[in-house]
Amino acid sequence: MSVSARARSGRPARKRRDPLWLRLLPSLSVVLFLLLWEIAVRGGDIAPIILPAPSSVARYLVAMIADGSLPWNLAVTFMRIMAGFLVAGVLGVLVGVLMGMSKVLERVIDPWIAALYPLPKISLIPLLIIWLGTGEAYILTISAITAFFPVVISTYAGIRQTSQELVKAARDLGANTRQVQMNVVIPAAIPSIFAGLHLGMGVTIILVVAAEMIGGSNQSGMGYLLIRFGQVMETEKVFASLVALAVFGGVIMKAQGAIDRWVAPWAVGKS
Amino acid sequence: MDIIVEKLVQVWDDGGAGVRALDGIDHHFKSGTLTCLLGPSGCGKSTLAQIVGGIETATSGTIRIVDPANPSLPPARPGERSVMMWQSLNLFPWRNVIDNVAFGLEMAGVARDERYDRARALIASVGLKNFEEKACSQLSGGMRQRVALARALIMDRPILLMDEPFAALDAQTKIVMQEELTRIFERMRKTVLFVTHAIDEAILLGDEVVVMTARPGRIKEVIKIDLPRPRTQELVNTHEFGELYDRILHLIREEVLNAMRQQDEAIA
Repeated sequence: MSVSARARSGRPARKRRDPLWLRLLPSLSVVLFLLLWEIAVRGGDIAPIILPAPSSVARYLVAMIADGSLPWNLAVTFMRIMAGFLVAGVLGVLVGVLMGMSKVLERVIDPWIAALYPLPKISLIPLLIIWLGTGEAYILTISAITAFFPVVISTYAGIRQTSQELVKAARDLGANTRQVQMNVVIPAAIPSIFAGLHLGMGVTIILVVAAEMIGGSNQSGMGYLLIRFGQVMETEKVFASLVALAVFGGVIMKAQGAIDRWVAPWAVGKS
Repeated sequence: MDIIVEKLVQVWDDGGAGVRALDGIDHHFKSGTLTCLLGPSGCGKSTLAQIVGGIETATSGTIRIVDPANPSLPPARPGERSVMMWQSLNLFPWRNVIDNVAFGLEMAGVARDERYDRARALIASVGLKNFEEKACSQLSGGMRQRVALARALIMDRPILLMDEPFAALDAQTKIVMQEELTRIFERMRKTVLFVTHAIDEAILLGDEVVVMTARPGRIKEVIKIDLPRPRTQELVNTHEFGELYDRILHLIREEVLNAMRQQDEAIA
């Protein structure tokens, strides 16, 4: 029988595309909002110090890119985010896997996670500043601690939720305990690990920017820019920085999704 | 391999007196025959196959797995000489077709080139040539069955345990897979335990049909199927097939009603 013919027809047919106006609706929604904002500011005689018009925010945005201040501070923040995320990701996955596989470690670590997870990590800032000062070590520590928890909890849950049926099947095919762990339990946990890493990335971004605002003795990064412009009431620059930060965050999240699909296409959309 | 099952009892722990799934199973599964275990849902037929396969451990009773050609050799451990094809297939979604099929060889430490050669040959023999690199999620139900079958066959074990492998297939695909299994069995002559709740499937495939009672599972009757091989789907229209069907239907109807009553009581 013709297996290949069946496979071809078995694939879902390509979705019919929505009409043009429906596809343009998201962009129209944004454009319309900006237009109304512009009109309100100009017609309503609102002081730019309270609410600048989108057009003037755009002008400042271009100027800040041109003078290099925005790219530089974004790059600094990006490096800090990557450092915090890397530390939290590696430690979180490692501890989560070990907890999921060892009853002893699970019992030892669990009370700490249960006690520390609900604590708002931001409340550790005063203590960390006392211990570490306000430099890079402090920013790295606060962001890594915060991101560690969602990663470790998701990883642990993923390991524990491995289908026992798959484990039995692997054993039946001759896999020993170690082989089951490496070839079944860990791959089965990957969707859940990815979900934890996404949550971890989200809080890393928040905590790095927050730490740059509070302390941040190196006077760099997007958090520092926002605070400084805010203090001197340069509202256009505050808005321009916010726009840059939002776009930057979106790009990071999209890139992370793309990496997920590249590393483990079968895992995407599972968790 | 002969599989000699004696006084097999399986009690599941339910926090109380326990649920008796199997209640004294005695049967001799003869080497090179395909035995269908037929019974209502919950009669313990899958449990029996899993105990023979060493996946579950029986509460009491014995299983001896011996080679009739070398009866002096010590009996094999359950699971040692058998491989299971699962109702839910249990393919590894993160592995493509060839790496699923080659899984057992990989675990056994067979070198990459050799295991791929053997996997390719088996994949071709179940009709999946050129699908080696496909992800399992891209395959149809029937094709996944073939992958699962190849993954079990590559182990080259004398006993093949099949737990309702075709239950989830559409009617046409099921017929094709039944014929394919018949061909493979008639060529390889393994000892096969095939769990099913479909009477026609049991007659079409089996050398004998073990009809089981509703829970607690006991053997109600063993029926020899002396229909000639090679068998094809046309057999279904013969007089002999019809007689066997009626006889088994009569046996099983009672048990299905019992099983339904048990379920009703459990819900109430």
